[in-house]
Amino acid sequence: MIAEYTWLVPFIPMMCFLIIGIIGKKTPEKGGYIAIAGALCSFIIAVAISVEYLTGDAFANGDPITSQIEWFHIGDYTIHLGYYVDGLTCAMMLFSSFISTLIFIYSIGYMHDQGERKNRYYAEVSLFLTGMLGLIVSSNFLELFIFWEVMGLCSYLLIGFWSFRHDNGDEASANAASAAKKAFLVTRMGDVCLMGGLFIFLNLFMSLDYTTLFDNAAAVYAQDPELMTLGLLLIFGGVIGKSAQFPLHDWLPDAMAGPTTVSSLIHAATMVKAGVYLVARAFPLYVMDENVMLFVGIIGGVTAFIAATMALNNMNIKKVLAYSTISQLGYMILALGAGGYLWALGYEELGALGFFAGCFHMINHAFFKALLFMGSGSVIHGTGTEDMRLMGGLFKKMKITATTMLFGCLAIAGIPIFSGFWSKDLVIDIAMHAFEHGTDASVWFIILWVLAVITAFMTAFYMFRMWFMTFMGEPRENAQHCHGESPKTMTMPLVILAIFALISGLFMFFGLDKMLAVMGVQIDGAEEGLALFSNMFTYLTLILAVVGIAIAYLMYVKKTVDPGKFNKHGDSWLYKALTQRWWFPDLYNQISWKLGYGVAKGVNYIDRQIVDGTVNGLSGAVVGGGDSLSKVQTGHVQDYSSIVLIGISALAVIFLIIVAQLGGF
Amino acid sequence: MIPMEFFLVLAAILFCIGAYGVLTKSNAIVVLMCIELMLNAANINFVTFAAYNYDITGQAFVIMSISVAAAEVAVGIAILLNAYKIRKTTELNDAELTTMRW
Repeated sequence: MIAEYTWLVPFIPMMCFLIIGIIGKKTPEKGGYIAIAGALCSFIIAVAISVEYLTGDAFANGDPITSQIEWFHIGDYTIHLGYYVDGLTCAMMLFSSFISTLIFIYSIGYMHDQGERKNRYYAEVSLFLTGMLGLIVSSNFLELFIFWEVMGLCSYLLIGFWSFRHDNGDEASANAASAAKKAFLVTRMGDVCLMGGLFIFLNLFMSLDYTTLFDNAAAVYAQDPELMTLGLLLIFGGVIGKSAQFPLHDWLPDAMAGPTTVSSLIHAATMVKAGVYLVARAFPLYVMDENVMLFVGIIGGVTAFIAATMALNNMNIKKVLAYSTISQLGYMILALGAGGYLWALGYEELGALGFFAGCFHMINHAFFKALLFMGSGSVIHGTGTEDMRLMGGLFKKMKITATTMLFGCLAIAGIPIFSGFWSKDLVIDIAMHAFEHGTDASVWFIILWVLAVITAFMTAFYMFRMWFMTFMGEPRENAQHCHGESPKTMTMPLVILAIFALISGLFMFFGLDKMLAVMGVQIDGAEEGLALFSNMFTYLTLILAVVGIAIAYLMYVKKTVDPGKFNKHGDSWLYKALTQRWWFPDLYNQISWKLGYGVAKGVNYIDRQIVDGTVNGLSGAVVGGGDSLSKVQTGHVQDYSSIVLIGISALAVIFLIIVAQLGGF
Repeated sequence: MIPMEFFLVLAAILFCIGAYGVLTKSNAIVVLMCIELMLNAANINFVTFAAYNYDITGQAFVIMSISVAAAEVAVGIAILLNAYKIRKTTELNDAELTTMRW
């Protein structure tokens, strides 16, 4: 009964965090090996749990394994601590801990020259992994929220890891610091929403346990649909913040200021996946209301499109990948939204397909995005720059990196056999289903479908633009000084991930479809996978992807098509809009300066003038009164004596009057 | 026999002169002298009541009072002399002597 030890999965990385934090400086690699060992232990335990669960009776009946202890009472509410293992939990645990292990191994090479700071790095990434694994195995929303916040803190610390680095000039350090702040504050907007949603749920259900919520969702929704809808929307607000969805997506590109391994961790194994996981986890609640699901789908589709446009002309290798992450997250959210929409309308089979597509894309994306980020890290390690204009022709010098990254690019572009093909086309497929089966509102889904297809085209283009600019053509400035391939600790994880980028899509034929069943509804992965080949829209996206790759090839390798022709050499309105990120940073600044700063000034005024004013006024009155009374003390002895005399005379007169009143002596 | 009121009125007049002097005169020595006047007005009252009531206690008290007054004047004059040494003045209203307020 290894499942009883599910709590060990987040607990081991947490112990690693403490051990590295306290004595890590004395160990080799400043605690790097401890972090790897911890992540590996978590992975092994996760494998054991998954094997036991998937071969057990609970899985066959479609039930989770869950166990809780009581944490505390507040009035009538009881808060529990516990674990909740189902297929989704197993899948998430496996890929999070596995990819984190590889990233930590890679870090040994990538962070090799960081000296004493490595200690801090390994402690923080261990805590980061604790956050993600804890979030996955949580058995109620409060527990989830705690780990959610742990991840928020770790992302802040790690994005700002180089805020004290001065070798690239102060600008880089300042950027890292402000990027960390931005990530923290923007996701905080979402977290506040999430917390509000949890309060609503606590009031509606009197509990935050998954089992209670899922069992009573229909009854509570029938009783109070408005409040439940509001709660679901607020929870989705948390997802928008954490998973960098439109309009809170802008923190993620800035988060590239952190080390590349951290970007890899944030984008592939943890953090942004938490938002998608939350939607998938709360899926039984979300399917109650089709309008919420429509909203979720719209946000996902719009995010996928907008983020992909911004990646088209970016020159920073990591930022291209950051935008592609946002875009792919949009796909996942779109799939979950469309699936939930269909489920809410009664098409449970298709709903389960949407759920599967979203989660499946999340898993595939984790593999190929970790691969792409680590590959870009290897390139940055070799060339010392993130600017693609200074790279080029690296294929000859970095054969392993180039080949593995090509696998990643093919996967994300959706070329058949590679993992991205299966999940991405399922996502696009499910949007089409939502249009076909939906009500009047489902006309939205045809728009989203078109956006998703265009996004697929743009994805293929910008990924290969990145690959061609980096690895093909003439070696430019920094590429010429490249010393060649990165060390083995860096290439080994790349090779492993490249294999997964190739085959992880085939998991759907070998049991992943059963694992990612939702509410007891399973889909047949083999059937759905083969159905893609009889669907003409699959060929449409495939052709568009190939065209995208071809255009990138013509533009950046053959140079027969001049990219400058399309953007009027950087003068066109669109080009500027894209480099300005559709003015989202300006919008954030405007909002924070006008609204945030305005409110802050108002609060400051109230605090200083009214709250402080009352206290200061009181003390001022006392001090002023004392001052004016002290003027009586003239220092002239004769003034004092005259007062004494007057007083005594007055007393004598009063005494005489009283005596006279009482009738004399 | 001289009526008792005469003595009492004399004492009252003396006391008032003394009080007036204490309150109005600016020279510290004059003020000290005026205090003596007031003290002696009280002494006259003591002696008067002692004489008219055939009680020796009042007179004994006066002796006591006079000796205490002598000591008190000695202390007062000593303070004044020291103040004069430092401040070069015995004027009570002089800023030099009133700097110790507040």
